[in-house]
Amino acid sequence: MTDPIARADQLRASLPAGFRDQVVESLYEEAHRIAGRSVKTGENRRIDFDQRIDRLVTSPIFGLPLMLVLITGVFWLTIIGSNYPSQMLATSFFWLEDKLVAWSAAAGAPAWLTGFVWNGVYRGLAWVVAVMLPPMAIFFPMFTILEDLGYLPRVGYNMDWLFRKAGAHGKQSLTMAMGFGCNAAGVISTRIIDSPRERLIAILTNNFVPCNGRFPTLIMLATIFVAAQFPPAVASVAAAGSVVGVVLLGVLFTLVVSAVLSRTVLRGEASAFTLELPPYRRPSILRILYTSLIDRTIFVLGRAMLTAAPAGAVIWILGNIDWQGASLARHAANFLQPLGHAIGLDGVILLAYVIAIPANEIVVPTMLMVYLGTGMMSDVTGYDDIRRILVEENGWSLLTAVNLMLFSLLHNPCATTILTMWRETRSTRWTFIGALMPLAIAFAVTFTVATVVRLLL
Amino acid sequence: MANPFLLWRRWRDARRRTAFEDVLKHVLTRTIEGREAGVDSVAGHLGFSQKRVLHLAVEMESAGLLRSEGARLALTPAGEKWATQVVRAHRLWETYLANEAHVPIEALHKPAEAAEHRLTPEQVDALDASLGYPRNDPHGDPIPTASGQIAALDARAVTSFPLGQAAEIAHLEDEPAALFRQIPEALRPGTVVRRVSSSPAEVTLSDGAREYRLTPLVAGNIQVVPAPEAKADPSLAPLSALALGEEAEVVAIGPGLRGFTRRRLLDLGLTPQARVSVHLDNAFGDPRAYRVRGATIALRREQAAHIFVRRHGVLASA
Repeated sequence: MTDPIARADQLRASLPAGFRDQVVESLYEEAHRIAGRSVKTGENRRIDFDQRIDRLVTSPIFGLPLMLVLITGVFWLTIIGSNYPSQMLATSFFWLEDKLVAWSAAAGAPAWLTGFVWNGVYRGLAWVVAVMLPPMAIFFPMFTILEDLGYLPRVGYNMDWLFRKAGAHGKQSLTMAMGFGCNAAGVISTRIIDSPRERLIAILTNNFVPCNGRFPTLIMLATIFVAAQFPPAVASVAAAGSVVGVVLLGVLFTLVVSAVLSRTVLRGEASAFTLELPPYRRPSILRILYTSLIDRTIFVLGRAMLTAAPAGAVIWILGNIDWQGASLARHAANFLQPLGHAIGLDGVILLAYVIAIPANEIVVPTMLMVYLGTGMMSDVTGYDDIRRILVEENGWSLLTAVNLMLFSLLHNPCATTILTMWRETRSTRWTFIGALMPLAIAFAVTFTVATVVRLLL
Repeated sequence: MANPFLLWRRWRDARRRTAFEDVLKHVLTRTIEGREAGVDSVAGHLGFSQKRVLHLAVEMESAGLLRSEGARLALTPAGEKWATQVVRAHRLWETYLANEAHVPIEALHKPAEAAEHRLTPEQVDALDASLGYPRNDPHGDPIPTASGQIAALDARAVTSFPLGQAAEIAHLEDEPAALFRQIPEALRPGTVVRRVSSSPAEVTLSDGAREYRLTPLVAGNIQVVPAPEAKADPSLAPLSALALGEEAEVVAIGPGLRGFTRRRLLDLGLTPQARVSVHLDNAFGDPRAYRVRGATIALRREQAAHIFVRRHGVLASA
């Protein structure tokens, strides 16, 4: 009896060289034969229709402007749509906080416990929900509609030449789009890139698109500082336009950093890629509501709340433990002040970023709570109050706002994203680079802007 | 791990294995080429001192791997088996890097030189199976099978192939690296070329699209076999050459597309006989969208240039 393995070796050697191709070919032939017998297509009109839309959305004249109009529209709707619900949520949450504080004081709880639970943990949670829920509940469904329509692959098609020039993979534009939802999700989505080199580039640069946790910050700053410079009629459009500007800047940084990486430490040629352009489909409302509200909004909000609760507690402790006549938060902010000033921000903002490392979502609430110290802030109910606190009481200028937008766009990824980077690369070195490179870029850019502006003014 | 003695022993064992395997591989390669291997050739090839080679030869002879016949070194059956396994590991690793990790062909040799001494036979078997038992590495060298068979390479230098006849590149000699780097990127195993002219100073090859001028020394490292009839057809065009709306039939996916990329394109339905048409142009040149089997797929020019089609004419709808 011959050894079956050796026999298999022998038989394998007698197969023609391209037999794998032939297997796929014959499968397709068979499928084609069956389909030809039993499937009737009335598809030609649909194909023409799809092709007409495709020619429009990828046309050299209309393609890119159309893309800009669409994302500006999405941000604009998010900004005008989320202002009032945010105010309403804040008002009712803080009204409830006052009641809860009063009740627990009446029930005989010690003052430190009441403060810790209600002014610390509860307030952190309330802020996160009030600031984040409305924009997310508007932004995510609209993003999902574009996704469902089949528009996102066309965006990838339009932008591919840029990524090819940068030595990056064509699918990086899709992982980038994913990063708008959540950078951690964006990092995971780089699994669709099969070349390790290009995948690493996509992971390291994913942070340069602002995630959903950072949009509220950008939107708030745009509303307070940019919109205020314009007449009310166009204010919200101007605010949306400036958010789009920041996003485009993020894309620019993605491309430049990708190009630098692929010409230095991660040298190599762009590899093969295929992108399917699916036919346009009517979005299914139920699925949009499910994926955008349950999968995304609730998931991101839940994660933010998980990190906001301890952050709220930390802020309360820092704000309420006094040492040498000032709270710990003040000391920390004063310590960070010189560094903050050098990059056009201040110590409190940097402190907020340190506390907010677990999740970017809580930067603005943290900042406000540190500014307000231990004082009750039941009167902060909307953008007007925030504006008053920042500009009149804490001396913010347009430079502060612009640099904060830049810093928010470029700074280090949140703890979840860093952890995800480690899980995806299994490399401490690349995780460190992924965390520190954006931070270094953020400091360099904001420092340059601050220095130039101060020299000119 | 923390025990320095154990670490040192592991390092020593690995170093010994590397030296053994390099000697075995050298003797095997010389034997296949029909040349003799000896202490001098080993020392010259590996950069070892004569003393070290002699020492190694004695050690390997007592291990039953080598036989010395005067100045000549030959492999025992056990030695040949081991040597074949090292060559197999080397070529499979190169194939893996080229097919799955898109490492450029000139960067394959070095990592494979390291990997061949590290991989266990089980890992090599698993690699072989996961790559689908490839027969040739990216340079065209035959990969030994698990039972140690090496297919003979029935190719000759392009310089001795008849002028003007279609020849398919079967193998590129990757050593010395300096000569290998001078072989144009378009000339890879599987590409069909014709020798247009030859002079003592220059050999001109054509792949149908372009002409390449090489020194005879570089051209001598390109080995070819007669091209199969289907591939010799000069009326074929690359998919990237089609105009918007033009329709064509796929004839073959070129050898430049390997591994993952090739499987992906086949899975998308770009198989021979499939009808394709250009669906969308791109103002920036790349990518373009093609319709194949009812789906729209965007490809960059680098890939589309490797898919060969027969032109049909312009569709009525475009």
